[in-house]
Amino acid sequence: MSVIDRTRSVELEDVALWDIGRKFGFYGSIIAIALASMFPVIWILISSLKPPAELFVFPQEYLPYAVSFDGGFHIVEQYPLTLENYHRALQQRPVGTYLMNSFIVASGTAIIDVILGAMAGYALSRLRFRFKLPVLLVILFAALLPFISRLIPLYRLAIDLQGTPFGTVFGLNQYLGLILPYAAFQMPFAVWIFQAYFKELPDSLEEAGLMDGLTRVGVLFRIILPVSMPAMATAAIIVFIYAWNEFLFALTFMTQDSKRTITVGIALFGGQFNSPWGIITAAVFMSLIPLLLFMFLFQKRIVEGLTAGVGKA
Amino acid sequence: MADVNPQTQDHVPFEEQGLRGRLSRYRELRLTQEELAVVLLTPVMLFLLAVSFYPIIDTFWASFHTGYVIQLPTQTTEFVGLENYARLFSSGSFWNALGVTLFYTFVSVPIELVFGLGLALLLQKDFKGRYFAQVAILFPWALPTVINAKIWAWMLNPNYGVISDILVRIGILGEPFAFLSNPDIALYSMTSITIWKTSSFMALIMLAGLSSIPDHLYESARMDGASRWRQFRDITLPLLKPTILVALIFRTLPAFQAFGLPFGLTGGGPGEATTTLVLYTQQAAYNNPGPTNGGFALGSAAATVITLIALVIALVYVGTLYEPEVR
Repeated sequence: MSVIDRTRSVELEDVALWDIGRKFGFYGSIIAIALASMFPVIWILISSLKPPAELFVFPQEYLPYAVSFDGGFHIVEQYPLTLENYHRALQQRPVGTYLMNSFIVASGTAIIDVILGAMAGYALSRLRFRFKLPVLLVILFAALLPFISRLIPLYRLAIDLQGTPFGTVFGLNQYLGLILPYAAFQMPFAVWIFQAYFKELPDSLEEAGLMDGLTRVGVLFRIILPVSMPAMATAAIIVFIYAWNEFLFALTFMTQDSKRTITVGIALFGGQFNSPWGIITAAVFMSLIPLLLFMFLFQKRIVEGLTAGVGKA
Repeated sequence: MADVNPQTQDHVPFEEQGLRGRLSRYRELRLTQEELAVVLLTPVMLFLLAVSFYPIIDTFWASFHTGYVIQLPTQTTEFVGLENYARLFSSGSFWNALGVTLFYTFVSVPIELVFGLGLALLLQKDFKGRYFAQVAILFPWALPTVINAKIWAWMLNPNYGVISDILVRIGILGEPFAFLSNPDIALYSMTSITIWKTSSFMALIMLAGLSSIPDHLYESARMDGASRWRQFRDITLPLLKPTILVALIFRTLPAFQAFGLPFGLTGGGPGEATTTLVLYTQQAAYNNPGPTNGGFALGSAAATVITLIALVIALVYVGTLYEPEVR
């Protein structure tokens, strides 16, 4: 509209002004969106550092300190910062145990999916064989199946196996009781990430290996796997985050408090209206620290993994 | 291309090598492509068969039999035909949950798609601080659903919620508002929370799709004097179609299976205002066991219905949006 008129009557100052305005608008909207995305986490941090009594007031205080002006500037304390909620959370609930359980389950799931996913991804992307498309479709089809439909039979199986030797492998309150279902549910994504990555590797890699007298198995282990560390990291991180976040199976399979994962532990902290919000916010923030670290350290990998094959397939 | 060492050629027929040749080939792990594919794929297929496909079939089977109830684990099961489905379809709670789930899914996903596309267009170009902006914007995606639910339950607390606080401060509300305990509003609140959480994921998928559109298309369009809007409508949108398909399937199926959000946010309430299908099914199977009012039989019937609807949704998306590549 008016933009076009301005560029036509080239007035340098106006153009510069318009540019600055546009930049301002662009960065303004980026900052607003980033703030909207992070605000809940910031609010949890703020709440968790308040003395318990300060949580239940309205209106709420936002910052611990404020600047007031009465002739001169003064810094006024609005509420004292305290770690009391963290102490109480760790005292009252085994938050450390929950975090450890989540870590064990998520790592186990990631290891299984990286190994099996790399094997299947390699076959599907770089080997010629019959029934390739049906196999790929079956694997992708598994990703469409609702979790709830797999829950009841696996739960029944776990109950049936209780007391038998198999019960120590797959059962209630066993880490593998969560790891195996999680690994199966995320397998299609792991396979997909690996096959998208392997597809991009040059054919000459294998040819060179075969020429040197390596077997196909040798090529896979000595040449392909060593160069696919990025794909392994990507698949492992995505699967880890999924397993860390899962709730439905964790709630059903872990009935002992000492085996609960962090999501279940926090979800069962209290009722909706009489919740101990001080220790909930502290526990929630503790549970988010690993995720925050992951996001900052591995953002590129996460983006790669989530978008593997998008726009190319 | 390059000559392959005859030793490792794949198409040497087995018969010509004889049994001895074949055995020594296996000992040295010199497998053909097809043999290696079988070796590599068998573990995955067996694993999926045991942990993904068998349970689905078992759920289907259980939905035609009498219940297996937690309190009575040794109870025998017998075939009852469609009785479980009859109970399910005559339950008002089931139809309520279906309505809640369809609203939640088909309101949130299109809005997420539009927001995600807008975010992607904004984040598309390089700028200072892009990495941090992306981390911040993507963070809601990484939040565990049920923990996200707890966070928002606190922010929307009827007495001390920060959202009420902000709205009171800027003068939109006179006093704190019960976003989650008002039966007319709770479902809207829950849907808004999921839009907040997942738009960034949509943006990510869209961003990948946008980056695959070749620049020269836009350049030639500009030379032809096409407006920004024409470029978006005639280049961006059509070429983004496969990406939109992926994003829609990726988001619709999880939204349709929402469980952690209503569980942690409202427990399905007030009343049943935010009880989704999966929450209904989980409660029917685990919280109200008993031969008449719930248990695994009813839960299995509900789970089977969920599976069928999920597959129909996936089929409809693929059918309407998938176009075989023109080569």
